[in-house]
Parts: sequence; C-alpha cells; structure tokens
Amino acid sequence: MTALSMRTSLPLLRLHQAATWALALPPAYLGVALLLAAAALTRPNLLSPMLLLLIMRQAAPLGLAAMGQSLVMRCRSLDLSAGGVVAMVSFLLTSGVLPLSAPLAIGAGLAIGAAVGAVNGWMIVRLRASSVIVTLSVSMILSGLVIAWSQFRSAGDAPELLRAFGLARVGGVPLPPILWLALLVPVGLFLKATAFGRSMDAVGANPRAAALSGLPHLRVLFLAHVASGLLSAAGGLLLLAFVGVGNVTLGNDLALNALAAAILGGINFGNGRGGMAGPAVAAFMLVFLFNFLTSLGLGEAGRLMLQGAIIGLAALAYALRHRGLNPT
Amino acid sequence: MAEVPMATPERVVLHNVSKSFGPTAALRGVTLTGRAGSIHALTGENGAGKSTLMKLLAGVHEPDDGEIHLRGKAVRLSTPAQARQAGVSTVFQELTVLPNLTVAENLNLGREPGRLGTLDRAAARRRAGEVLARTGVALDPDRLCGDLTVGEQQLLEIAKGLAAEADVFIFDEPTAPLNRAEVDQLEQLLVRLKTEGKLVFYISHRLEEIFRFCDTVTVLKDGRLVGTERIGALTPDRLVTLMVGRELQALFPERPGAAPGEVRLEVRELVATTGSPPVSITLRRGEIVGIAGLEGQGQRELVRALAGAGQPAGGTVRVTGDDGVVSPMDTRHGTVGAVRQGVALIPEDRKAEGLCLDLPIQDNIWLGPLRGLALWRRARRDPVVIRQLGERMKLRSRPVDAVGSLSGGNQQKVMFGRWLAAGVRVLLVEQPTRGVDVGAKAEIYTLLRQFTEDGGVVLAVSGDLPELIGLCDRILVLRGGAIVADVPGAGATEEGLLALALRDPSGVSA
Amino acid sequence: MTPARTGLTRYTVGLPLLIALLLALSAADFRQPQNLLNFGGQVAALLIASLGQMCVTLVAGIDLSVGAVMSLASGLLVLQSDPVLAVAMALAMGAAVGVVNGLGVAVAGVHPLVMTLSTATFLQGLCHMVLPMPGGQVPPPLVAAANGDAAGVPLSFVWCAAAVVALGALTTRTRFGLHLFAVGSQPRSAYLNGVRVRAVTVTAYVLCSVMASVAGIFLAARVATGDPNLGTSFPLETVAAVALGGVQLTGGVGSVAGVVAGTLSLGLLTNGLNVFGISPFLRGVLTGALLLAAVSVQRRRHVGL
Repeated sequence: MTALSMRTSLPLLRLHQAATWALALPPAYLGVALLLAAAALTRPNLLSPMLLLLIMRQAAPLGLAAMGQSLVMRCRSLDLSAGGVVAMVSFLLTSGVLPLSAPLAIGAGLAIGAAVGAVNGWMIVRLRASSVIVTLSVSMILSGLVIAWSQFRSAGDAPELLRAFGLARVGGVPLPPILWLALLVPVGLFLKATAFGRSMDAVGANPRAAALSGLPHLRVLFLAHVASGLLSAAGGLLLLAFVGVGNVTLGNDLALNALAAAILGGINFGNGRGGMAGPAVAAFMLVFLFNFLTSLGLGEAGRLMLQGAIIGLAALAYALRHRGLNPT
Repeated sequence: MAEVPMATPERVVLHNVSKSFGPTAALRGVTLTGRAGSIHALTGENGAGKSTLMKLLAGVHEPDDGEIHLRGKAVRLSTPAQARQAGVSTVFQELTVLPNLTVAENLNLGREPGRLGTLDRAAARRRAGEVLARTGVALDPDRLCGDLTVGEQQLLEIAKGLAAEADVFIFDEPTAPLNRAEVDQLEQLLVRLKTEGKLVFYISHRLEEIFRFCDTVTVLKDGRLVGTERIGALTPDRLVTLMVGRELQALFPERPGAAPGEVRLEVRELVATTGSPPVSITLRRGEIVGIAGLEGQGQRELVRALAGAGQPAGGTVRVTGDDGVVSPMDTRHGTVGAVRQGVALIPEDRKAEGLCLDLPIQDNIWLGPLRGLALWRRARRDPVVIRQLGERMKLRSRPVDAVGSLSGGNQQKVMFGRWLAAGVRVLLVEQPTRGVDVGAKAEIYTLLRQFTEDGGVVLAVSGDLPELIGLCDRILVLRGGAIVADVPGAGATEEGLLALALRDPSGVSA
Repeated sequence: MTPARTGLTRYTVGLPLLIALLLALSAADFRQPQNLLNFGGQVAALLIASLGQMCVTLVAGIDLSVGAVMSLASGLLVLQSDPVLAVAMALAMGAAVGVVNGLGVAVAGVHPLVMTLSTATFLQGLCHMVLPMPGGQVPPPLVAAANGDAAGVPLSFVWCAAAVVALGALTTRTRFGLHLFAVGSQPRSAYLNGVRVRAVTVTAYVLCSVMASVAGIFLAARVATGDPNLGTSFPLETVAAVALGGVQLTGGVGSVAGVVAGTLSLGLLTNGLNVFGISPFLRGVLTGALLLAAVSVQRRRHVGL
C-alpha cells in the first residue's frame, strides 16, 4: 500500500481505489466493458437489444458448460469431456437409435451426461487417474464411437420439442438464457449456504486437510463431476436445439471455451473467487467476441488465434497477479 | 545489550537488514555479527524472524534494506547457488533430499562433477563416499533416497551441508526428526566445525540444545533484535524472558484434583497397522493422556488409526457419546465417521494437513460444525460463535484474515477452534505445540485443560518430554507400537520416561 | 521399496512384445514386409514426438500443443523450396513455441494444461492461415530423406535411432538430464540445492516443441505434402505412449526405453486395427481406452488434476 500524501485530492484517491477494485475483478468484467466499448465504436448495430438477446441465447450452452467447469475446477479437477458428451447426446437424439418420445429422449440425454460425469468422477476418485487424461480420453472414446456409428446411421433432425424450446421466448426474452439464469442463481446460493459449498471451498483450498477434518471430500469431487457432465449434456441439448440437426462436430470446442470462460471468470484450480457470476459474464463475453470478430470479417483461422491468445493472456495475467500470495 | 568484544574476526555481519513480505514486516533493522569458530544460536518466538534472517544469508531472499558482509566485504546473495558459492552452506528446516535420486546424486546435486555438462558418475560416487566417511554417516551411495527413513534423510542433509566447502553453516531446527543417538552424532560434527574455525548459525526452539551446543545466542522478537549474549552469562529462564519479553509464570495449568469421569473412548486390542502389536487404552472424560516414546515407535500409526485416517488390522474401538450411548467406531467411513462420532485429529503438520491457508479464519473454524451434516444442509457461519471463540482463545486477528498469514501459535489455535466449534469430545493431538512460541504454548495448554474440564478428553503425542510431564494426567510410553508403561504425569521425570522408552517390550532394559 | 527411476516394469516391456506376438500369430497381413515398413514409418513420427513429450512429463508437465506444432511445421515446409531454409524455419518455430510454453509454466506459474492448450489453439489458427487446405509440395530433398533406404536400412529407422540415442544420452549422461528428474520430483528442494529449476523447465518445453517440429517435418516429408490437420491426434497419442511406457505423469520417473516400449504398444495396436480391417474411426476410441488403462495402473496418491 503506497502512502498517498495528505495533499492528494479526494477525487483522485477515490479514483485510485476504484481502479484497484476494478483490476482485482475477474478479467471478464473488464473484458466485457472493453468489448462493448469497441463495438460501440466500430459495429454499433451489435449493441441493439434484439441482437444482444440473440447473443445471450447463443451463449447459454457455453454458460451451462462453464458452470460445470467452474464446479470441477474449484475442486482442483478439470472436465474436458464436454465435446464427447455433446456428440453422443446429439447422435442418440437424432439418429433414431432411441425410440423414445421427445421429453423422454431429452431426459435420457441428460441422464447420459450425468452418467459420463459419474464415470469420470469414479475413475478420478477411485483410480486416482489424472482428470485431464481421464476426461480427454473419455471424450475421444465418445467422439470416436459417434463417428464410427455415424457411418451406419445418418444424422437426422432434432426432436421438434427441443427445437421449439430453442426458439421460444417469454415476454420477448429467449427461453434458453432464462433457463441458464434459473440454474445459475440457485446453484450460486446453494454453494454459499450449504455444507456442500463449504466442503468444496475446503477441498479446493487443501484437499488433504479437508479429508483429515472429516469432510467427505471424495464425494464432493465425484458430485462435481456428475454435475459437470449433466450441465455439458444440457448445453449440448441447447446446441442441438439451435442447429436443428445432428452433427458430429457439434460442441467439439465447448470444453475449451468452458475452460476459458471459467478462467476469465476468475475461477482457478482450487479457488472460486469469481463466484458463479464471473464465468457467466465471461461466457457472454466470449460469444459476443466471436460475433464481433465475425462481423469484422475474421475467419476461422483468426478466431482460433484470438481464442488461444485470450485464454493464454488471461491465464498469464491471473497467474502473475496472484503469484505473491503465499511467501515461501 | 552490548556485544562482548572477542578476539576472533567477524565473519558475517548482517547490518541493519529489513525484509517484508507484502504488508507483513518480517525483519526490522536487525544487526547481527557472527564470528569464526563460534556456534551461534538464533532463537525467539515463532514469527520472530529467525528463519527469514538466515534465509537472507542463504540466498533464498534478498533484504529490502541493509547490507550483508561476508569476511569484511559487502555481498549480494540472490540465489541459493550464489550463497553456496560465497561459502555459505545451509541445512534447511524442510528436507531437500530428492526421493528419486540416489544418495550420491543428492550429495552432488548442483555441483555435479563432469565436463561440458556431462556427468562423471565415478567421480560423483567417490566424492559422495568421502563426504559420508568424513561425517560419519553410514549410507550406501547408490541407494535411492526415497527408501531412507526421515532421520537418515536429515543426516544426509547435514552431510550435504558439511560437504560444501563453506566456512559459514546454517542449521535450521536440524534435530526435529532425529533420535538421541543421531543428535549426539550431530553434536560431534558441530564441535568439529567449531574447532576448524567455522561459523555455525543454529536456529532452534530447544533451549536444552542451545545451552548444550552453542556459545553465543541472538534473540529476536517480532522481527527486531532483542540482544546478543554469551551463553555463559545466561540461564534458561533468563533466555526465555528475553524471548517472550515478560516473566513467564507457570507454563502449565494446574492439574485438577478430581478423578477422571466415565469412559469416553475404549480401545481394545487395536492393531494400528499390519504387524503392530495389539494396544488397549481407556480414555475418560476430564483426562489429558500423553503418549511418549522415541521417534517412530508407532505413535503416529496409533493416533491415525483412532482418527479414522489409518488402516487398522484388528481390534475394536468404542465411543461413548454425550448421551451415554456406547457405539463401535465407524471404521468404514474413515475420518468422516470418526468426526461424526466426536473423535477429531489435530495433525502434526498443520499447514499441509490441517489448515486451508488461503481461506479466512472463520471458514477454517466453520469446517468443524459441518460435522455429521448432510451435504445439502444449510451451513451458514455464525459470526457470534466465531467471535466468542476468538476471544476465548485470545486469537488476536480478525475472522476474515487468511490463516496463512498467522503465526504458528495462532494457527494452532484455529485448528483447536475448529474442533471446539464442532463440539467433539475426543481430541487426538499430534505435537500440540510444534512450531509454537513460548507465549502461545501456555495459552494452548490452558485451552486443552479447559476442554477436558468441560467434559472432553485429550490424547496427545509429543516428543517434548517436559511438555508431557507438565501437561498430562497420565503418560503412556510406546515402544515398538506397544504400550510399555502407563505412569501418572505428576511426579514423572524425563530420565524415568526415557528409561521406559528405551525398555524393550519384553521387559529387558536397553 | 521405491521403484527405480526408470518406471520400467515387466508390463511396460512385456506389453508390446505380447501384442506383437499375438498379431504375428493371428494376422498374416501383419507379417508382410510392406506392412512392417509402413508400421515403421507410422511409428517413427509418434516416437520422435513422444520423446519430446517425455521431457516435459519428467518435469511433471504436459504439452498439448505438439499436434499444432507438427501441423504448422508441415505448413511451413511447403512454403519454401529451399529445404535448409524450410527446416530452419520449422525448427525455429518449434523452439519459439517451447520458450513461450516454458516461460508461461515456469515463470508465470500458469498450469501446463492451460498454457499449452492456449498455444495449441493459437498455433492451429495460425496453421489454418498459412495453409488453409492440405496441399503444397515439400522440397524433394526432404522427401528423399524421409523415404527409402540407406544401405538397406529404412530411413525412418535411422531417424528413430538418432532420436533415441540423443535423448537417451541426454537423460542418463548429462547434468541436465539428472536435473530433469530432480525438478520433476520436488522443484522446491531442487531449487534449494542450486538447481536452476526455471531454466530446466523452459528447456524441457523447448525440447518437446522442437522434437514435435522434427516429427512434423518427418511426417510431412513422408507424404510429401502439407496438412493443417497433420498432428490432430498426436497430443493424446504422445501422452498415451509416454504413460504406457511407465513415465509417471507426476514427474521424476521415466526412461527413453519406456517411451520406445509405449510407442510400440500403441503403434502395434493401431497397426492391428488396420490389419484386421477395423474402422479407422475406432482408432480414437482405442487410444482413449488405452490411455485410460495406462493411467489406471499408475497408482498416485494425489486425486484430481
């Protein structure tokens, strides 16, 4: 803390305090502000309410996946299986393999997501395998199976009910982001107020201490993975609703974007300083960014480069800022 | 406190050094002079700055202010490698022996013989052999260090420190993992260094060692220099006064006159781990029971088995709740079951195994009330309870402060506060005051006694015999995993306990 | 008993032998010289890249950007007609990527996964910009260097042998190699002993990316053309090969022999898929399943990441 001289004017001091507070926020908030400002200057039509609502709708799947990723990251783990989960759910719902009515099929899709999460969680907790390897491998297996099976059954249409949900609006606001928010708020409150949330804080901060203090740390980690699988499936269902037909590449960068959103939202391995709001804002920011870049004429190549640069720089900034927290 | 002038030259001068970590000032304007041919103790309460001061000399940190002079010249030591090159060799408190390297490789680490970056294996083994012989440490150079015991690793650490061509040596709490024979070995090495004209800085909490090995002592408090004296001019009490800054009355609270109450924990024929002998203990409310014994005699395995963190291979443990209901210990659910039944552990290494250093005090304490709570239940912190606990334990910090910034004594209090808030009745404590300064020790002993007077029972493992004698109602002596004696605390002596600890379980004295 | 530093067990060495035996006995196609030659070529790139991954794994890291580096290397190759310049560019790119990854992990403290995923994404985008579609012509001298024989020995084998000898010597006979093991085991202790942890870590990442670049050069030269998706499967395959070879993902344990064994295991199984005519799309499933099996066997105390 630098000592400011008595002669410094009060407004300057306030500004200094405000700036320090702003910089301590997760990068997503600053990023959103900068983006909106840049858009206002170059592509003001992106800021129309109608388009913003559409962007929020588009961001809902990522928002859900980012929620799941945050839960898992707070427990010092990672879930990179979203790509495989989405591919599998999309295939099962569109290829006619499951002769179920639409609501049951949707339920089955969610159940599959939870099941994949449970398998991930079991291997990570019981076999103590690395989360990175497990979830990446599971994703590879699921994607591979879908690609192989797609040779025999071509992709069909998504269930009508799902597509309708994707397009529906309530009072002019699209349904998917409403669903997203409707999940976000209770989950955030749940984590703040319950033993699960407290346990998760401890598990993230010091897993060994959590274990020796009688907290069910393995169960917390397991449940986080189940939740993440479930949320990935939910995100996949939304993606499927938007696209309308089955597609083997659906959601293949969802895991990576969810990781980016979590990091930009202030979540890091073992701590959840950004709360649940940070990743949500970051998800919106990322989707807005993609749309902004597309409107500027940037192709796939440029988008990838920027995506990589953003994750890298955000992670670097975060790591450098928090490095001095524990001396020795 | 004037320094007594001596004829021997000054080898190290730390002149007016200061060091801060963020907002915490660890050292404030400390001036220290070390002379050749001296074993110079450095002591003080925890958080006094002893380790930090020596880490400046060891090249781990650089001072914010002030200068370091070696052999009369000002030097700048930015890395441990530079310090080593400058002739300073350090044996850190934490072991730096790498488990996947051999003894020879560890001894040569950082100074491997060889040309152009290649390894000269034969030369390395030769050098290792010489060092081991010179320091009297009998280890096979080709053994992987992961196979060594903690004591052997520490001796290796010391040998490594001695092997360096240095004339300034720093030992930071070197005897913590050593047994008596190994401490004697260390003493011989230290004496030899002194006669060779080296300067040895010896950081320790252990007064008996300071008076045994050292000729000079520097006391720090709160990052400032209190004074430097010749050992011959001091008594242990005077030294403690210097460290604490006040006269310390009784360190230990009075033992209650009342007899212990009903049984809280009944252990029958417990086999702590495969191959251990069966152990039976009865713990009654109101008691503080100590466990004494030499290093590695099964204390840790026993306590961890009781806490649900081990793998017992037989026997039964029964817990009596507040309502008088006796139930067997839930072994299937490990620590979760144990804590639910009111049996909790304060581990020896509280930073690695007990506390969430990044979380605030209030969050660390509130992990206790989660005891027995289903995951979906509400668990909001109660600020009133937390504040009252803080006052009761004399925790002079705000509840929102991160635990990592606290001193050892305060950290231990937070651990204790967690279990107080949880309402457990059986407290298993490993090394209750390790890394805790003298002032906080007294407070912790008082808290433990109050805990038992409120109806709890404490089982404390400690390597500090005076502590066990002063604190405990009963002392169990462990050897080879079996209880070889059960003596009352009042009237016990260090020599008596030691004799019992050395006694073979079959009854033959060592 | 602490296992030796090599991580080699009966299973590590026995697995490839077993698979080879099974394949040789059950599939006549496997025993054809042409198949074995193809196999050698396919495995060479994986071996070279896996040896690089080993360096990073030894320091408890992971490098998921090897695939993008390989693809980009192939893209850079077809931009030049001068083979020396092309190779120099590709290697320089590899070194630069390694420095970025290494600095991010060692100096800034970013988790290796996040760091290398971000560079991978960036590089993949760059590759698409440099080479939007598969195509282009790799300079003929390079094509010749990767295909064909030298005195009866297939050149792919020569490349492999060179890589194995180089990295074998590095890990067992040099100070740097020993320091790799030290840093991977306990970086703080290594630092306190005077090991230059940051420099060792950055060098490990540089080695990995350079080896990936070499693998990309080799593979592109073999097919004589560039491909922006050349390396897509390699990040996970190299990790699988390394894990199957007994290299602990937690660092400090591993050996070149193990990586060779692991690469052979993976390669043989993939080759077996081809020989038995199983859908090539199941290759990903197979790699994933193998990787899971490999890490399940590696007992860790740590849970999570």
